[in-house]
Parts: sequence; structure tokens; C-alpha cells
Amino acid sequence: MIKEFKCCLFGFGLIGVSVGFFGLSSEVSAQASHLFRTYKHEVPQKLPETQEAVAAGKKVYEKRCWYCHGIEGRGDGPASKTMFPKPRNFTRNEYKVRSTTFGSVPTDEDLFRIVTSGIEGTAMPFWYTISETERWQVLYYVKTFNEQFKTETSPKVVSVVSVVSTPDSVQRGAELFKEFKCFECHGDDARGNGPLTVALQTEWGMPYRARDLTKAWNFKGGNAGEDIYRTISTGFNETPMGSYLEKMSDEDRWHVAHYVKSLAKDMMSDVVVKVKLVEGEELPTEPSDEAWNKATPMELPLAGQILVSPRQWTQSIDAIRVRALYNSNDIAFLLEWDDSTNKQEDVFRDAVSVQFPTKIPESLKKPYFAMGDSSGAVNLWSWKAYWKEGFGAIVEAPETEPGTVSELNAKGVKNITVQPPESQNVTGKGVYQNGRWKVVFKRSLQTEDAKNDLQFEIGKLIPIAFAIWDGSNSDVAGLKSVSSWYYVILEKPVPKTVFIYVLFAIIMGASIEVWFIARLRRFPPKLEEEQE
Amino acid sequence: MAKKRSPYLLVKVIFAVVCLFLFLKYAAPKVFQVLMAKEHLMPTPSTLMMWYMIMGVLAGLVYATTSNQKFADFLGFLLPEKGAMVKSFIRKMLFFAFPVIIGWFVYTWSIPGAASPVELRIQHPTLPQEFEKMENPFRNTDAETQRKCIEEGKILFQTNCRPCHGSKADGNGPFANSFRLRPINFQDPGTIATVVDNYLFWRIKEGGPGLPSEATPWDSAMPAWKDDLKDDEVWKIIMGEYDTAGVMPRQREKTE
Ligand code: HEC
Ligand code: HEC
Ligand code: HEC
Repeated sequence: MIKEFKCCLFGFGLIGVSVGFFGLSSEVSAQASHLFRTYKHEVPQKLPETQEAVAAGKKVYEKRCWYCHGIEGRGDGPASKTMFPKPRNFTRNEYKVRSTTFGSVPTDEDLFRIVTSGIEGTAMPFWYTISETERWQVLYYVKTFNEQFKTETSPKVVSVVSVVSTPDSVQRGAELFKEFKCFECHGDDARGNGPLTVALQTEWGMPYRARDLTKAWNFKGGNAGEDIYRTISTGFNETPMGSYLEKMSDEDRWHVAHYVKSLAKDMMSDVVVKVKLVEGEELPTEPSDEAWNKATPMELPLAGQILVSPRQWTQSIDAIRVRALYNSNDIAFLLEWDDSTNKQEDVFRDAVSVQFPTKIPESLKKPYFAMGDSSGAVNLWSWKAYWKEGFGAIVEAPETEPGTVSELNAKGVKNITVQPPESQNVTGKGVYQNGRWKVVFKRSLQTEDAKNDLQFEIGKLIPIAFAIWDGSNSDVAGLKSVSSWYYVILEKPVPKTVFIYVLFAIIMGASIEVWFIARLRRFPPKLEEEQE
Repeated sequence: MAKKRSPYLLVKVIFAVVCLFLFLKYAAPKVFQVLMAKEHLMPTPSTLMMWYMIMGVLAGLVYATTSNQKFADFLGFLLPEKGAMVKSFIRKMLFFAFPVIIGWFVYTWSIPGAASPVELRIQHPTLPQEFEKMENPFRNTDAETQRKCIEEGKILFQTNCRPCHGSKADGNGPFANSFRLRPINFQDPGTIATVVDNYLFWRIKEGGPGLPSEATPWDSAMPAWKDDLKDDEVWKIIMGEYDTAGVMPRQREKTE
């Protein structure tokens, strides 16, 4: 009897677990913001700053840092051509991430932290990969480039005592953000689009972009409440980001820091854009339609196009957010990205394009992700911001102008064709609001031009890729921000039959259980059997 | 010899299995993050999870059946017993939980989910013939010339390859996150250290588009540099690249 029970149990246990986890194993794992460099606070025991340490630091510097920071520390190393922001010029006091007052030099600990952490959104790598000793040595050497480190041996440090965030504090912070004119650079919605920011130029003739404070991953000095408080208090030397230590009370700086912290969001990245079915409803055509909230947004990181020349080494748009809905006839996409300006100039115009293969791939094989290739054509939906004829004029696309939408095909970067007017099936419009472009694309799921247009099918993984042009960054043609292939899937609605299965499974489970226990009661396992 | 009875054996086994699940799901990612000194959590892959859970359940059952007494205790829990309030409560809980869990399994299994795309690739396909015979012209020069070449190569590497492969050749350039097929980490002993240096010459000249289809050229962001870099420059980059990464190319078999 006991044997029989044993077999039964093993059988059920195994079948149950394997079936259950087989189901779970098909989930798609999300990429997360852990990909980004973060500001690390811990500083170990300091190494004595001796002549030998500096000499050893010179070696490290000339092995690892000079390509960017230059052999004389002027920030003009041979690799610095392709960078923005430019590497730090160590002969000047332009240190950004400091715990010391504005205009002062950073402390050794500050330097250690930033060298360890690296700076996200810039070329500055993290160096926790080299030993602590080497890090201390190299930064002692870096200090020798600037006399100020010798004259100012104990710079004044701004103390940071953590204060807990409350909704009231965030509220007050929002008011102070206006009162102290942070918005003039950072913009009303803090997307780095303030009117002042575009006017200011660096010594390299590049615009000083105020930080987009909604992107948590781009905070150079860390995005914890204490970090933001410190940044607001100390400012960034030699940038428009000044210090508010004197201008604002301690408490007020905390309010603003809490407000900024509340705005900063992580990148919600994933691999598959899930398109929600909205049954029996028209799809939204306006970018601000409430209906978009039904779709789960997905964000993905963009890189400068450096695959073929001309190359965009210093791209300004680093992320795009995608949402999509479909009904029985149509599919619609909402694309959003932060752009600090809405400046359109002749060829330099803000634009976006979505790329699909012309056919859903049957196998692993796809067209080349950068505009296809001779053996695999892609279908592009492109939107371009409005621009007024008239040579040299710089205009802002008005909200009433939807921009131009067109459908193209490409078989490689040199082989791009615009589809003839009769097969232009995509409609859409773009609106610029408070530092963000929102562009809608809409098309029927099926079209007549099956050779050149992608035909959507429900429940299939369809490759999708994106490209964005920022006119004010002189983006045009190959100069753009790009993504690699991601996927889009038109979600199947949960069929009603699933619930019947579930009910059936529960009844089955319960009956087996009842049977098992009844049997167990009739033939209770006996210990005596052991003595057989 | 008095045998020890353990009337709660069934509950203990179930508890152990649940603990295993919680560990794999929530604790293991953290533990491996610390152990492997990673920046981020290391979630247990779901297929691995499935196998561990199967093994966990099996182990529990094997343990419960090691002796007939254990097994009797194991099942005996399910038998009614007078006056044991706690036991009867747990028993009722189990009785309800079992069908519900089965129902949940069936539900997660049968809802249409987005299956994760399969993206298998061969990282090092065979080197095309025309590149097989190539030799690095700077390989057998004197130490001083070699040092110069490495230095020039490093500058070219830092200028052209850094945004993707990173300044340290660790695959962590600022653009690396944007390409789902990540730029290769050359410090990883499984990458350029396992191939001869003319293999790199081919990869740099022809890039992603030059790959055969088993290496998924359509996903590779590796540019074809043939129009932008001269042969000499590419050889120098290769020397600089190995030096930056701190690895050596595989030595070619001597052809007699
Ligand atoms: C690939 C290029 C590159 C390399 C290599 C590099 N840096 Fe940088 N570094 C930069 C850039 C770019 C910045 C400026 C970032 C900014 O302005 O936000 C920077 C900034 C800095 C800063 C200033 C941080 C601040 O708070 O203002 C320090 C200090 C620094 N680097 C140290 C080093 C050291 C030490 C090394 C070598 C171990 C090194 N860097 C290697 C590109 C590089
Ligand atoms: C005159 C223009 C200007 C004003 C006014 C200004 N900022 Fe900034 N801010 C900048 C610029 C430019 C940067 C980017 C600096 C850089 O990275 O080079 C910046 C960066 C920042 C950062 C990001 C720091 C980091 O770690 O990357 C924060 C936070 C910030 N500002 C908060 C504020 C707050 C709060 C106010 C108002 C009290 C304010 N700023 C006012 C121009 C300004
Ligand atoms: C746009 C980003 C990008 C740039 C720029 C880039 N690479 Fe790559 N590289 C990649 C990616 C992605 C891969 C992995 C896919 C593949 O093998 O094609 C790769 C792979 C490689 C490989 C193959 C390594 C292996 O073990 O399989 C070599 C070698 C290489 N790159 C060298 C270079 C050199 C040298 C440069 C500069 C001249 C460079 N790369 C520039 C993205 C880039």
C-alpha cells in the first residue's frame, strides 16, 4: 500500500511543478536601469599624499587618462574630438561634482568618488576597476595640474544632513523651483528646456544644456536626495549651474531637492513593446489623448549613429518612450522624447522614424538593423517637424502644424526610396510641449501594398527599431540617434476559455485530493509494515 | 530503539520547498550580486528556477520516503486527529491551497504571453579564407616600433571604438547600453583572447554586415571600417586593443 502512495505522490509532485514552471518560464525579462553608471559614496582609508604617490599616479594617468584629458591635463587629449561634454581641463578649476563651496577645489574624497563612479551620459568611465591605491595616486597627480589645490588646502565643505521627504516639502519645492527661477534653465517641467539654457554657449561653442531632471540616470553627482541637495548647495564650477548656498535657506534647499528627486524617474526599459487591444473603439489620433494611458509605456536607450560616416558622436537624444494600441482595423503608436528645443532650420529638423522589416521574419533572420541591407528591406514610417520655406530662417514648429508624415522603404543607407503617393498609408502628427515631442503614427493593420508595407499579425513578435533627429544638434540624414532591433507584439486578448480551463483544473485538483485523502483514511499507512 | 516521530513532516517539507522558491526568487539575485561583485541584481533564469524547484520537490519526497516511519508521518498528517486544533487548521489550509495553486499554474500557463525572442548566435564563426593568410606587418618589428604602433593604435581605438567598446576595452562605452547585442568586452577571456589577430582584422574591416548568418549580422552594431581605416591603422588598432584589454591573441599553429 505504502509503495503505491509513494508512486502517486512522486508522479503528482513532478508533473505539477514542471507544468507550472514551464508556464512561468516564458516570461520576458526586463532590462533595467542597472545598466547605468551610478554615483558611489563610499571612500576607503586615504593614501598618504607623497612624492612617490604622485609619481606613481603619473604612470597611471599616462596609461589610462591622457587619451581624453590630455598629456598636460588640458582636456584636449587625442580622443577628445568625439566627445561632448569635453573631458575635464585639469588646469582650470571646472570641477563639477564637489562637496565644497562654489569656486573652491574639490576634496580628495570628492575626486575619489567621481573617479570611482564615472559620469553617466559622458565619456568619463568608472574606475572602480583599478585598485584603490592607483585611484588615490592618479588623483594626487591630477591635482598637480592646478595650483589652486596647493593654495587652498582645506576648502570649505558644505555639510549634508539627511532630511526625510514629505509631500508638503515636495509641494514647497515646486514653488521654490519657480521662485528661484530654476525653470529659466531647466524648463517648466524640468526637461532641460528653459529659455536661457539654449542661449548659453560653452567655450567649445556648444550649448550648455541644463540637465533634464526627469531622467534619473543622467545625474552626474548622484540622484539620491542628499546628492541633489549637495549639488544645489555647491553648484557646478564654471557652468551655468550655480550655487544656492547663500541664496536659499538650508530648509528651502531641502524642499527643492525633494521636489527634484520626485521628478527623477528611472528608465523603464524592456525588449518587447506590448500593443494593447482596444475593442470597438477608435484609436487616438491626438498625442495628448487620455486613451494612451491604457497602453504600457516602454522606454529604450538610444545611441549616436556611428556605424557609417558621417557619424554622430555627440548625440543629444538618449531615450525614447513608446506606447501602442490596436483595434480590429488599425494600429497606432505614440512616441515621446525629451528635446530641449523646438528649433527647425531648413535641413536641420526634428524628426523621428520607426523601422519594421517589410515582412514578419519567418526565421531568426532579419534585415540589418541600420536601414536594412540588400537581402532584407525595411519599411520606415517617418515624421518631420514643420518648417517654413525661406532660406536660413529658424522657426519653432507651431502646435497647430502637425508636421509631415511619410512612408519609405530602404535596402541599406544608400538605397532609400519614398513610397509613391498612392501607397502612403500612414497618418500622424507631432506636438511639442514643455520640452517633449509627442508624435502619433497610425496605419491600418493590413495594406494593399504587401510587398513594401509590413502587414501586422496578432501575437507575433515583430522587429522594430527607432531613430530620432534633433535639428538643434545639427542632426540630418545619417546624423541621428538610433536603437537596435527591439520587438513589438500585438497582444492577444485573454480568451474566455482560459477561465474554463482554470475552473476545470481546480475541480480536477480538488477531486484528486479528495480521492487521495479518502484512500489514505481507508488504508492509513501502518508503521508495523516496517517489521515485515 | 525508540523511533522519533515527527508529526509535522509534511508541513516541514512544504515549508522547505517554499523557502527554496523564495530564496531563488528574491534572495539569490542579491547573493549573486554580492558574490560576483555586479552592479545590479542577478535574477535566477526561469528555466534554471524550474529545474531547481523540480529537484527541491524531489529531494523533499525522497527525504519523506527514506523510512516507512517517516512516510507514515508524512502522510499521517492528512489524517484527522481528535483535539489537534492547529493541525486541523493547517490541514484545512492545505486542502484549499492545493487546488488553487493548480488553478494558478494552469492560468499562467494558458494566458497568451509574449514569449521571449530567441536570439542564439555563434560568436566566432569561421574566418573567411581570404583573411586566413594575413600577417600583422608590425608583429616582427623591433620593440621600439612595436611600442609606437601600440601607442598609435590605442589613440585610434580611443577615438573610434571607445563609444561602444569603452575606454578600458571592457564593453562599457557610453553607447553600449543602446545595442541589445552588446559591444564585446575584450577583457573577457572568451572573446579576442581566443582568436588569432587576423581574425580581428576581418571583424574590424567587415564589421557586423560581414558576418555569416549564424552570427546574426542583422543585430550587430559593429561597424565595417573598411572605408574609414587603412590596413596599417587596423593592425595598429588590433595591437592597441589587445594591450588595452590586457590579453594576448591566440598564437597561430606553425605551418611547416
Ligand atoms: C574616455 C575619456 C576619458 C577617460 C579615459 C578619462 N576621463 Fe575623466 N572625464 C572625461 C570627461 C568627458 C569628463 C567630463 C564630464 C563632464 O563634464 O560631465 C571627465 C571628467 C573627469 C573629472 C572631473 C569630475 C568633476 O567632478 O568635474 C575627473 C576628476 C576625471 N575625469 C578624472 C579622470 C581620471 C583620473 C582618469 C584616468 C584614470 C580619467 N578621468 C579618464 C573623460 C575621460
Ligand atoms: C543659469 C542656468 C541654471 C539655473 C538657473 C539652474 N540650473 Fe541647474 N543646471 C544647469 C546646467 C547647465 C546644468 C548641467 C551642468 C553640467 O552637467 O554641465 C544643471 C544641472 C543641474 C542638476 C543636475 C546635477 C547632476 O548631478 O547632474 C540639478 C539637480 C540642478 N541643476 C538643479 C537646479 C535647481 C534646483 C535650480 C534652481 C534652484 C537650478 N538647477 C538652477 C543650469 C542651471
Ligand atoms: C557602434 C558600436 C561599435 C563600434 C563603434 C565598434 N564596435 Fe566592435 N563590436 C560592436 C558590437 C555590438 C560587437 C558584437 C557583435 C559582433 O560580434 O559583431 C562588436 C564586436 C567586435 C569584435 C569581435 C570580438 C569577438 O570576440 O567576437 C571586434 C574585434 C571589434 N568589435 C573591434 C572593434 C574595433 C577595433 C572598433 C574600432 C575601430 C570597434 N569594434 C568599434 C560594436 C561596436
